[in-house]
Amino acid sequence: MAGPARGGFPRREFAFEREPARRVFAAELRESRIHFREGEDEKSPTYILLPTGERCNRIFLVGTLTEKKKQGEQNMFYRARVVDPTGTFFIMAGSYQPEAMQQIARIEPPAFVAVVGKPNVYETPDGAVLISVRCESVTAVDKDTRDRWVLDCAKATLDRIDALGTTPDGQRAGQEYRTDPALFRKLVFEALSQLSL
Amino acid sequence: MDYSDTADRISLKVKAKGHEADTAKIEGKLRRLVEEFGVPPAEAERTVMNELAREFSLNGLGTAAGEEKSLNALMAGEWATVEVKVVSLTSAPSSAIAQSGILADSSGAIRFVVWAKANAPLLEHGKWYRFESAVVDEYRGSANLKVHSGTVIREISRDTVLIPEVTPIADLTPGIGSVRAKVIQEWDATHDRMLQTGLLGDETGTVKFVIWKEEGKEQLVPGMVYTLYYAIVDEYSGRYSLNLNTATVIPEEGDITVSSGDTRFSGSLVHIAPGSGLIKRCPVEGCNRVLSRQNYCPVHEIQPGFIYDLRIKGWLDDGKVTKEILVRREVTEQLTGISMDQAKELAENNPLGMDEVFLRVRDRILGRYLSCSGREIDSRVLVNSCEFLPFNPEETASLLNRAGGSS
Repeated sequence: MAGPARGGFPRREFAFEREPARRVFAAELRESRIHFREGEDEKSPTYILLPTGERCNRIFLVGTLTEKKKQGEQNMFYRARVVDPTGTFFIMAGSYQPEAMQQIARIEPPAFVAVVGKPNVYETPDGAVLISVRCESVTAVDKDTRDRWVLDCAKATLDRIDALGTTPDGQRAGQEYRTDPALFRKLVFEALSQLSL
Repeated sequence: MDYSDTADRISLKVKAKGHEADTAKIEGKLRRLVEEFGVPPAEAERTVMNELAREFSLNGLGTAAGEEKSLNALMAGEWATVEVKVVSLTSAPSSAIAQSGILADSSGAIRFVVWAKANAPLLEHGKWYRFESAVVDEYRGSANLKVHSGTVIREISRDTVLIPEVTPIADLTPGIGSVRAKVIQEWDATHDRMLQTGLLGDETGTVKFVIWKEEGKEQLVPGMVYTLYYAIVDEYSGRYSLNLNTATVIPEEGDITVSSGDTRFSGSLVHIAPGSGLIKRCPVEGCNRVLSRQNYCPVHEIQPGFIYDLRIKGWLDDGKVTKEILVRREVTEQLTGISMDQAKELAENNPLGMDEVFLRVRDRILGRYLSCSGREIDSRVLVNSCEFLPFNPEETASLLNRAGGSS
């Protein structure tokens, strides 16, 4: 019905796109080693490559805050441990994350917390690799939210295992980590098994 | 390159009008234009033709008129000859334009412009005409027929009844469109010249409409269903809008069930932006901007008589994509369990003021799983309804099967 020769109109092309928060179990995050920067710019996002083959710049996790520790004098920061069915996340919040720091300060462990943050890979002088999550927010939540997250994370992990080898990141993960899908299926299975109890 | 065919064609046309034409001379002119001046051959033909037409004061020689086509076969940038009906005339926005409106044939419709300099006969609404040598160009992303001084217009007699095809709103594309739709919202006019604006809806979606003030234009009645033939579909920053000034408006009986056009999106709320919770808005009519802490509106400056509002601005994330959500007051109240009055009281009686409301809102919903439905505009969802997503133990079983099944 419309006139002919409609020119394609450019939509807003460079709209800001926020990095999605990936769901990953502690046991998988712990195995991550590869980290890289996309692009040359100082402000280009950095990613870590998960063994199941997805890059992540930001993660979302829900678990139990078991321990928190205030460190530093001038540059005070918090380190804390958050436990999920598969292991422990090491999280931290410093003066560049004032909101998250204040949130941690107000939460008394043990408590269920929802954490949004950016994972970083550190290598210690003796060659060990540590992954810690620099928090954007740490919010106290209920058990329902934790259980919902375990389902969400299980599904996301299974989706990644299924796509392993079909995406560039998946192929890279297969080569670099020699990922054994069965191992991660087992991990997911065990995480889910703890839910029904 | 050989110009003899073209030259023959031109001389034949001139001879047909009873004048002498020197084929060799014509050929020479063509060659000079094309080879020396780099003029495209079609344009060269037209130039020579026009020159001869002026020389012999001929009319209707039709130059490179282009073959007769139906409207839906026209391409931008070409010359066209069409036989069409004037289905709409609009007041010209500029004195350089004599007439504008919409032409239609059985294949479709197109916008047209008659330039004042064209000295064309005045077209009448509802009559059929043959346009020779009009130019098709592109205006705001859709085809447009331009009538210039070289265009020949002749009234023809036709009694074909044109019934344009009605397009579902979801399938509209820029150009001319006809819809059958219900007026579901009426908005405040944002311009003095605007007669009415609002939202039209049909079973497939919704679209904004505008009627500009013009003699004989009437407002649509909210809640009524209309068939609107030959509206102009414009596009502004990725969204369509119907200009009804060109449209033939036919009120219809009955009702239609309007699709809300809502999309549903679920995920966890990973961020709450500043400007969530209790906010102050500018009280100036039609402004409604959010005021700063000092009650400062970017346009109307200090506004002590602000109006309170409650909302959530945040990012909902399903692990694959993140979408900005904007939650309005009623939904915010229902999600957080904090009513507008409670929020005001909190802000007024607490040392932290409005920050206290922000913190409470944050603690109740940040990191939670939500399912929101609303209109999505530029990857921002204006949320109309929203619920917390509960833990569903049944999902555990199916995921267990998936994890254990194929290992």
